Amino acid sequence: MLKILEWLNERAKDIASVFLGMMFLTFIVQIVFRYVLNLPLDWTLELCLTLWLWVVFWGTAFVMEDQDHVRFDIFYHSHGEKGRRILTFIYSACIVAAFVISLPATISYVTFYKIKKSMTMGIRLDYVFSVYLIFAVAIILQYSLRCWRVATGQPFEAQSFYAIQIAPSEAASLSETKAS
Amino acid sequence: MSTALTLCLVAMIFLATIGAPISLAMIASAVVYLFVKGQDLGLAAEQIIQGLYDSFVLLAIPLFIVAANFMNAGTISDRLTHFCLALVGRLKGGLGHVNVVTSIIFAGMSGSAVADAVGLGKVSIDMMIKDNRYTPGYAAAITAATAVIGPIIPPSIPMVLYALVSDTSIGYLFLGGILPGFMMAAAMMALNSYISHKQNVPLEEPIPLRDFPKITMRAFPALMMPVILLGGIYSGVTTPTEAAAVAAAYAFIVAAFFYRALSLRDIYTVMRESTRSTASVGLVIGAALVFNYIVASENIPAQVSLAMKGMEISAMTFIIGLNILFLVLGCLLDASTIILVIIPIFIPTCKALGIDLVWFGVVAVVNCMIGLITPPYGILLFVINATTGIPLRVIIADIWPWVAVLIVCLILLIIFPEIVLFVPKMFGYIPGRI
Repeated sequence: MLKILEWLNERAKDIASVFLGMMFLTFIVQIVFRYVLNLPLDWTLELCLTLWLWVVFWGTAFVMEDQDHVRFDIFYHSHGEKGRRILTFIYSACIVAAFVISLPATISYVTFYKIKKSMTMGIRLDYVFSVYLIFAVAIILQYSLRCWRVATGQPFEAQSFYAIQIAPSEAASLSETKAS
Repeated sequence: MSTALTLCLVAMIFLATIGAPISLAMIASAVVYLFVKGQDLGLAAEQIIQGLYDSFVLLAIPLFIVAANFMNAGTISDRLTHFCLALVGRLKGGLGHVNVVTSIIFAGMSGSAVADAVGLGKVSIDMMIKDNRYTPGYAAAITAATAVIGPIIPPSIPMVLYALVSDTSIGYLFLGGILPGFMMAAAMMALNSYISHKQNVPLEEPIPLRDFPKITMRAFPALMMPVILLGGIYSGVTTPTEAAAVAAAYAFIVAAFFYRALSLRDIYTVMRESTRSTASVGLVIGAALVFNYIVASENIPAQVSLAMKGMEISAMTFIIGLNILFLVLGCLLDASTIILVIIPIFIPTCKALGIDLVWFGVVAVVNCMIGLITPPYGILLFVINATTGIPLRVIIADIWPWVAVLIVCLILLIIFPEIVLFVPKMFGYIPGRI
């Protein structure tokens, strides 16, 4: 089961890299068609914007690890392990709460766009925007998992959201480097 | 200030202080705001999605990240360092000068100070502390300080963000950063000379001049990158975003074919690393855009403008006050947050006072970049701490002269706007009154 989850996470990371690669290639295609062949394309810009949206939210959901987030952690690191557990629990619970209560309205916002299609490629916009829902659900899961880890006394810092358990020695060395 | 906004700010400060990721703290407190206001909670998602989906200029950001990562994967930092060693290594405090000059060149390829510190930091610092020539604190401090040049000399991610909120031309902003970038570099070289003489740092073995052509040739393709990037933008051939794509393609070709340093596996690693950085930066931008929306819907920019008008302050007083505010905020906040959330509050006042927005943008970006090396929250200090293991307190103890020198540069930019505006004017920019 864990193996399958990890495998899926790896593939999700592959997909994110493919999105970014496609975005880069689309730009090159656009430039070649406009400046070399003198045949401006209209769909490239929209594809790039769509991929950008997907890279950001898909990437946050599946590629970014906790330590990749920009944060202000001076106060946090001035506490011992117990204090950090409590702080992590509080902020994780707040994040989960905020995303959970806004989820129904967010779903209706995204599904509302089923009546609209994108300007040039004619993709239904609810499909385009649906990546935000993936992101929101992933954030809820990630930070619920974190609350659970904190509450049950498991290692909780600087580890993959999707790895259920890491070796205790690794966890110890990670928290040491963080603390220094 | 309404109750909703107060609660929103309290929630934001509380969550960010106890260690929540800043982007998620902003989204969560935006939900608090909408909830207290009784507005549709889906508005938070709407603002983030529309903000990212409608902004063509933001597309330059992932492309700058890809370009910098390709360059880094292609052994570029070694080649550049070697080139700069041949160029300025023989001077007193040579390795410190090498550090500054590699940063200038790297700044022309990457738009982010963090990319600069990650790409060059380890190589430069290892070289400087080898044989105890420089203290680890000095090496780390100069590396952090020179990384600040990265987003001042174009391309520049912070300037793209500023262009987005202020509706100014990215091209002119980029041009405006060139002279200030070189001025900051010169000031840092002067400080490095001064300290090296004082501490009597031993001289380096000079690299024979006859090797210089060979070393230059090895670094040449990398040195051409800024030329291609800026040439594309200013000849009007490509938009800044397209120039970013061309730069990324060029970086790829150089790394893969000239330097033969990229395997398929490396290409994949570059993409994956770039995805991580893109998601991280993109999420902060999206979250900041929600805050930007809240600030605008509370009508704060207009109120500030009105209040300033009532106080009848001069443009200069206003600018000095703002810069002090940004410096203080820079110690506590992330630069993208300041640019996307705080700066828009003051844009209408700038317009009302007739302050030129390109000049103001460059000054504000320089100011925010100084914030990257000021403790307690200075992301470059953290990055160097993480990549080299030099303890934060050691770096912080040595960072102050560099902060001071950069603040002097900032003051010069404020007193002499021509330093910023000279190059844009050469390219036809007509500045507003200052």
